[in-house]
Amino acid sequence: MSAVEHTSHGLGHGAGAPPHRRGIFTRPGFVRAAWCFALFFLIGLYLVAGIRWFAGWDPVYDWNIIVLVGGLVMGPVGFLLGLGAFDYWLYYLSGRPTLAEDHSNHGAYTWKDYFKVNTDHKVIGMQYLVTTFVFFILGGLMAMLFRAELAQPGMQFMDTQTYNGLVSVHAALMIFVFMVPVFAGLANFAVPLMLGAPDMAFPRLNALSYWFLPIAGTMFLCSFLAPGGAFATGWTSYAPLASQQPFGQIFFNMGVQWAGASSILTALNFLVTIITMRAPGMTFWRMPLLVWANFTTSMLAVVATPFIAGSQFFVMFDRVLHTSFFIPKGGGYVLGYQHIFWFYSHPAVYIMILPGFGIISEIISVMSRKPIFGYRLMAISLLGILVLGFSVWAHHLFVAGMADWLRVPMMISTLLIAVPTGVKIFSWLATLWEGRIHLNTPMLFALGFISTFVIGGLSGVYLASVPIDIHASDTYFVVAHIHYVLFGGSVMTVFAGVYYWFPKMTGRMYNERLGKLHFWITFVSFNVTFFPMHWVGLVGMPRRVADYSQRFADLNLVISIASFVLGASILIFLYNVVTSWARGPIAEANPWRAMTLEWQVSSPPPVFNFDEIPQVVGGPYEYGVPGARHAILSGGTTPVEAGA
Amino acid sequence: MRRGAIVRITLIGVAVAILATLVAVLIPWLPDPASKQMGRIEFLYWFATVISIGIFAVVIAVLLYSVFAFRAAPDDDSDGPSIHGNTNLEIAWTVVPAILVIAIGVVSAVVLSQNGQAGTNPMTIKVIGQQFTWRFEYPDSKGLKSNELVMPVDRNITFQLEAVDVIHSFWIPQMGQKQDLVPGLPTHIVVTPTRMGTFTLICTELCGLGHATMRAPVRVVSQQGFDAWIKQQQSGGGSASGAGAGKAVFTSSGCGACHTYAPAGSAGAVGPNLGNLAADAKKAHEDLAAYVKESIVDPNKVIVAGYQPNVMPGNFAQTLSAKQVDALVSFLAAGSK
Repeated sequence: MSAVEHTSHGLGHGAGAPPHRRGIFTRPGFVRAAWCFALFFLIGLYLVAGIRWFAGWDPVYDWNIIVLVGGLVMGPVGFLLGLGAFDYWLYYLSGRPTLAEDHSNHGAYTWKDYFKVNTDHKVIGMQYLVTTFVFFILGGLMAMLFRAELAQPGMQFMDTQTYNGLVSVHAALMIFVFMVPVFAGLANFAVPLMLGAPDMAFPRLNALSYWFLPIAGTMFLCSFLAPGGAFATGWTSYAPLASQQPFGQIFFNMGVQWAGASSILTALNFLVTIITMRAPGMTFWRMPLLVWANFTTSMLAVVATPFIAGSQFFVMFDRVLHTSFFIPKGGGYVLGYQHIFWFYSHPAVYIMILPGFGIISEIISVMSRKPIFGYRLMAISLLGILVLGFSVWAHHLFVAGMADWLRVPMMISTLLIAVPTGVKIFSWLATLWEGRIHLNTPMLFALGFISTFVIGGLSGVYLASVPIDIHASDTYFVVAHIHYVLFGGSVMTVFAGVYYWFPKMTGRMYNERLGKLHFWITFVSFNVTFFPMHWVGLVGMPRRVADYSQRFADLNLVISIASFVLGASILIFLYNVVTSWARGPIAEANPWRAMTLEWQVSSPPPVFNFDEIPQVVGGPYEYGVPGARHAILSGGTTPVEAGA
Repeated sequence: MRRGAIVRITLIGVAVAILATLVAVLIPWLPDPASKQMGRIEFLYWFATVISIGIFAVVIAVLLYSVFAFRAAPDDDSDGPSIHGNTNLEIAWTVVPAILVIAIGVVSAVVLSQNGQAGTNPMTIKVIGQQFTWRFEYPDSKGLKSNELVMPVDRNITFQLEAVDVIHSFWIPQMGQKQDLVPGLPTHIVVTPTRMGTFTLICTELCGLGHATMRAPVRVVSQQGFDAWIKQQQSGGGSASGAGAGKAVFTSSGCGACHTYAPAGSAGAVGPNLGNLAADAKKAHEDLAAYVKESIVDPNKVIVAGYQPNVMPGNFAQTLSAKQVDALVSFLAAGSK
């Protein structure tokens, strides 16, 4: 914690940067990253060609393998090296002088600092958020493209390969490089501040985990350039179809590795930070629920993510090394893929919603001016979801042909997840009760979240029931369900969180009228887009089809039009965020009169967060308790005391 | 809690519940059931719907009431009452939902068990899925092969499902039951059709480029009608002669799912347009009839520019008789001059 003692912010030149100035080709940055990428690609190329030449294999230049080794493995490592992500460790390994408390790459003083390997958790949080929103918008544009195709039956704009590719890349971008990491971005910004810590436990690792992300997203996008088109087997990418597809599939297999590695490293970082870097007095039962949520999410991510990494490696090995993990002819077990895949991908659903639960708890308590109802049960229910979350994966296999006896136990555990989830919803409602509700933009998104998430939860109960699932599985009902949970659920909480912390992140206030307009257009067009999908699915429209029966034409046209409105509504958000960031009114330190620690420092916070380590003396949501305090900070701003 | 609040919340809740019930009742959410199993699924669906409407109404009523009743004025800086929790309430909303979901679980398990029972003397039909066609075999009728699924009404039918290449999934929406076909792993499912008529079997597991077109016609007929159909098929009466025979093979083999061919009225876009066969044969420097036959039995030999190999099934030489292939060749050669 000695970082706090540094008052000369960002002046510690030592490790990565020797005192003398270096040329543009040798100093860390995009120029060095570019030539390092090229160099490492060539190393990969000649490694492959050399081995093939030596072994006498034909052709020597097998471009599929060269792209895999040079472009998807070696190249990105070179890119990271050139960017400077490994500089400190390499200096250390080679015995050159390093300075443990080196802050030369910490904090943002100009906009350029956001494009560097930066060790400040607040800068990294912003890097995460901006990057993930870029992928969010690209993924949304792809959805609008295939919704245009689906507006009418028959094929209008694209062939089925393009259609399947767009559907698959849309989902891969949304899940692996938007939904999972956007929460890591928000938590990166908020969690160390909420804990009273100067930064994350491993700032350099934190920077590295962020830079994996643009690599993963770029890989998904580059698959469109592969011969035969982008990967086109859906985000679930079931074997054996995935092992037989054109080469674009490899970009998915490898993109997931980079995104997964990022997720695991960040989760480890959060766990260590939350366990070891809480301010004095910040017991586990005094942690804000956002911290609790990220604590449980991180445990899920650390345990589950290696499984999807394994599943994608196996599929890739079946193709490039001619193993037969999932090829029946070679003794492979096709359902094995689905079991391993869903052992990650079901917990991943909770990785994509639990941090959102944390955000909603913060906002509802603050905007209702009341303590969160049943704080301990709220934390325990998160742990309940964590434990149950690992015992439900096979509900994705009810029609897959797995052992019959597994279905009923998996159904019961799946249904039981509704209980801790219900506890959260009822507790939020009870927190609203008799509060002083302020209906600003974050609160609107929070309440909108509750109403849409309830629908997503209830359709989940239908899908948990095996006989109903047998009918509804692989239809548009499932598409509706997942979007009610991930858009009506998670994306709503992301918007709520971005508006809520916007003044803290940027030091400026967003435009409230535009925020509310954004909410209402999003809320209405979201429901018009996805609610009818329940119906078309139940009456017979399967998912992932480029063409469909004439009788679904009218509703699909309505869905497509609503989806364009939903897509366009992001423009209001972007306009609001960009103009407010540039010239919005200066925000106070604590515009919401919240008690948690991030609001007790200036907006935006100082580079090292707290001039002095805060002393935590009470719970984080003691609104309405006379004289109650969450923490005591000497100097700086006065902490909020509960009002009259 | 004041009594007025309870009355108002109840009123909002009832209004929401009525609205939700209207949405549930006025829209035909499920297809008209055509199997015994789908009838049970429909019952379960309504069971879950009643519970869901109740929960939805409670949540939305409390939410709406709170927003209207407890909204603070913009200049109101006061805090709400410091209520930290209520143990009885928390126990109640843990236990009540647990009971409700377990009830759904128990009813579901019972329905699942009933829907899995084939009863005595079930009829067996073998289903083979392959990119992007369906084939059916009737082991009880000397292994009769068909590209159309014909079933007698009110008879328990056990489908034995096999996939040749990748995973497919068997679903007739009006009959509810669905089961994946997994390469290397035989699966089965029970369906008891209760309504005569024509339906469509659709593949619901993404299986490649032609997934959306992987469909097969389904006919449920009376037992007499079924027996007659079997007899007609076994005597070979199903195949007409001449051009009609070729067209029948084209339709029953699912060629139209992927290929556009005006004489057959098909508009598939996965594979090449078969109206251009003459031009394609010229490009390959082959005789038209030989080229057409080769393209059917060995589709990877010549790939038309802009298309990919390994999309079309390579085993039509095995699944079709030589007579059928010849009929198909003459049908295709005739229409592409």
